[in-house]
Amino acid sequence: MMGVSTLSEWTGRIGELVIGATAKDGGTRSHSVTIGGEEDLPYIGIPPSGHRPLVAYELSDDPELWPAAATRFIGDRVHDTAEWVAHADREYQPDLIRLYLSSTRERNFSDISRIGETVESVLQATELPLIIEGSNDPAIDSAVFQKIGEAAEGERILLGTAEAGHYRSVAAAAMAYGHSVIAQSPIDINLAKQLNILLRETGLSPDRIAIDPYTGALGYGFEYSYSVMERIRYSALKGDSDLAMPMISSAIDSLVVKEVREADEGDACPTAIAWEIYAMLPATIAGASIVCVRHPLSIEPLKTAIAALWNGEPKGGM
Amino acid sequence: MANQKEECDHMALKPLEIYKLLPKKNCKECGDPTCLTFAMKLAGGKAKPEACPYLDENAKTILGASTRPPVRKIRIGVGERAVTIGEELVQFRHEKSFFHEPGIFMAVTDLMTPGAIQERVIFVRDEILTRVGTDLRLNGIAVRSVNGSPTAFTKAVEAVEAVADLPEVLMAGDPAVMEAGLSVCGNYRPLLHAATSSQYWEMCRLAKKYACPLAIRADSLDALAELSGLCSAEGIENLVLDLSSLSLSEQLNRSTAVRQHAVSRKTPALGHPVCIDTAVSGLPDAALIAGVTKFGSVLICDDLSSASRKALLVLRQNIYTDPQKPIQITPGLYRVGSPGKDAPVLLTVNFSLTFFTLQGYLEASRVPCFMLIVDTEGLSVLTAVASGKLQETLVRDAIAKYNLSAEVAHKRLIIPGYAAPLSGRIEDATGWKVLVGPRDAADISEFLEKEWKG
Repeated sequence: MMGVSTLSEWTGRIGELVIGATAKDGGTRSHSVTIGGEEDLPYIGIPPSGHRPLVAYELSDDPELWPAAATRFIGDRVHDTAEWVAHADREYQPDLIRLYLSSTRERNFSDISRIGETVESVLQATELPLIIEGSNDPAIDSAVFQKIGEAAEGERILLGTAEAGHYRSVAAAAMAYGHSVIAQSPIDINLAKQLNILLRETGLSPDRIAIDPYTGALGYGFEYSYSVMERIRYSALKGDSDLAMPMISSAIDSLVVKEVREADEGDACPTAIAWEIYAMLPATIAGASIVCVRHPLSIEPLKTAIAALWNGEPKGGM
Repeated sequence: MANQKEECDHMALKPLEIYKLLPKKNCKECGDPTCLTFAMKLAGGKAKPEACPYLDENAKTILGASTRPPVRKIRIGVGERAVTIGEELVQFRHEKSFFHEPGIFMAVTDLMTPGAIQERVIFVRDEILTRVGTDLRLNGIAVRSVNGSPTAFTKAVEAVEAVADLPEVLMAGDPAVMEAGLSVCGNYRPLLHAATSSQYWEMCRLAKKYACPLAIRADSLDALAELSGLCSAEGIENLVLDLSSLSLSEQLNRSTAVRQHAVSRKTPALGHPVCIDTAVSGLPDAALIAGVTKFGSVLICDDLSSASRKALLVLRQNIYTDPQKPIQITPGLYRVGSPGKDAPVLLTVNFSLTFFTLQGYLEASRVPCFMLIVDTEGLSVLTAVASGKLQETLVRDAIAKYNLSAEVAHKRLIIPGYAAPLSGRIEDATGWKVLVGPRDAADISEFLEKEWKG
């Protein structure tokens, strides 16, 4: 008897998306990263197809809006975004930095030039490829995304976040300055597909889109997100090219759920880390190519676990 | 949802395929008027092939296999904490659902003192995490033979049995050691771990003698399928496939292959639940996560931190929730803190994700308030508004039913941002003034601070 192995019945392939540009490509990143490219289920195949999932570390230009469980570790550096970024890059070595320009969510925000300065200072502070999240307010979106796009021109960042009612300014800035876009839909495969079609119609190329199917925290709807990611991946492998983009997942509420907030003093930090890892590692198993965390100590164990799932030693069959 | 059904159909034979295997005599001896109606019942799992006295051997084999669940159902332990595993039908939970949660077994060894063993056993016996009205707990104890002597193993099993009636996994490669353990707990249906090609007949003899399920191990899936067949030939059908590996990649690839071969019925010898000793890889959290998400039914772990245990139990609950059924919260008036007569009232739907998310942010805001939860049959705000399930009459009736006027001294209602199109109609129907809240629960704290002036 020979050859009991995984069954592959797939015809589709996930597209590749490149984030970050080196000097050679007109940017200043030390390297670029590629996600996607899979031709089978996540981690399946020894070695698997496509590219290893990556871990992004999330931070914000407004620490007041950031969970205490995350900022506690960073101390006073949180008040200087560039310093925070440099520290995280050096100490925790994420694959990517995801900067939330949360200050744009403040009421009547109008300091557009400050956005440009923040982005420039962050580009100085790290050579890692970047994901940058802009505003969520039609009144300022156009100016904000224009400014981010311009400040990061040539760096091939991943720019967020496009939603069904809110995608033109993001797409326009991405196309004008050579960036890619995060397309977020509310845990619904059909809405994810629809948004990708809308973005395509703006002229954005499919290899410039990362799908964000929205991720509920562990115990707070995570299972819906997990299955939507599995369904998106399944449909893409079955040949649906409107869903064949790599996915990004961030359980953004992980550090504010009751279990983390109410954990005993000594248990608070391990619980925060566990709540991120027990959602984000499953997210990669469901198909996410980038997973995001806010607790700095989640980064290393998550990278180790992903590497262990990825690097199979061929042992002569299975 | 249309292609969801399609995805399920490869699981079993269709009625016409079954009909072709029947004698087509319409003799009625099975109790059905025609062979076709019998075929339809077989396809739906509502009849057994044995009811037909005229099936040939080929048909019996095919039909017998296709009406059995593709992953065998197995019970470990006895009494109220007994664990049922297997009986799974699908590869992806969205195709239907996963049915039997994996049993999580915490390991003790025969090198530990009886006191240390019992401390761990009592922890597994008593520790409960209650979430969404459900008690989540670890399931049982795995006893590892490390010392190698039958006497040491007996003592360890005795220490476990002295304090709890929990399901057990007896982990000993030496049949003589295994038998020593069985002499203590053989009547309580432990899982025997594990038979290999070099001693399987001995392990099968013990499994038969004590009527216990048996785990089997081999170096490759081919060898495992072969060993499964050998054990079946010895009369042991309640088999569990051990896929523990030094390599997590191999664990995930193997468990996926096993589930694919089981549900497609390509390799019936692999149609058994999977066991993973998560200590083997050296990355227990990752092995547990891969085991819970991808087809583990028996998960063995050494000591678990409190944080990992909680996250693991919640992940298991999430993955084994029926995906077709939105989890609902009982509609009603809920209090956050101790709200007074001036406290804000926030309307939302009874989709549990919405409820818990909003509740979490309200608690964090430290503003005591009321949550008025209306029955949208578990739909989210967005869907409930779009489908017309969330209507002004629903809000009006809820205000009356939960006697809101007696609870607060004002008539101001905060509604979700996505329900903004209903604000006028809600005001007209209820006579309450409507404040449109944020779309994102994360912004509720800021909203209350700025917009709510009681």
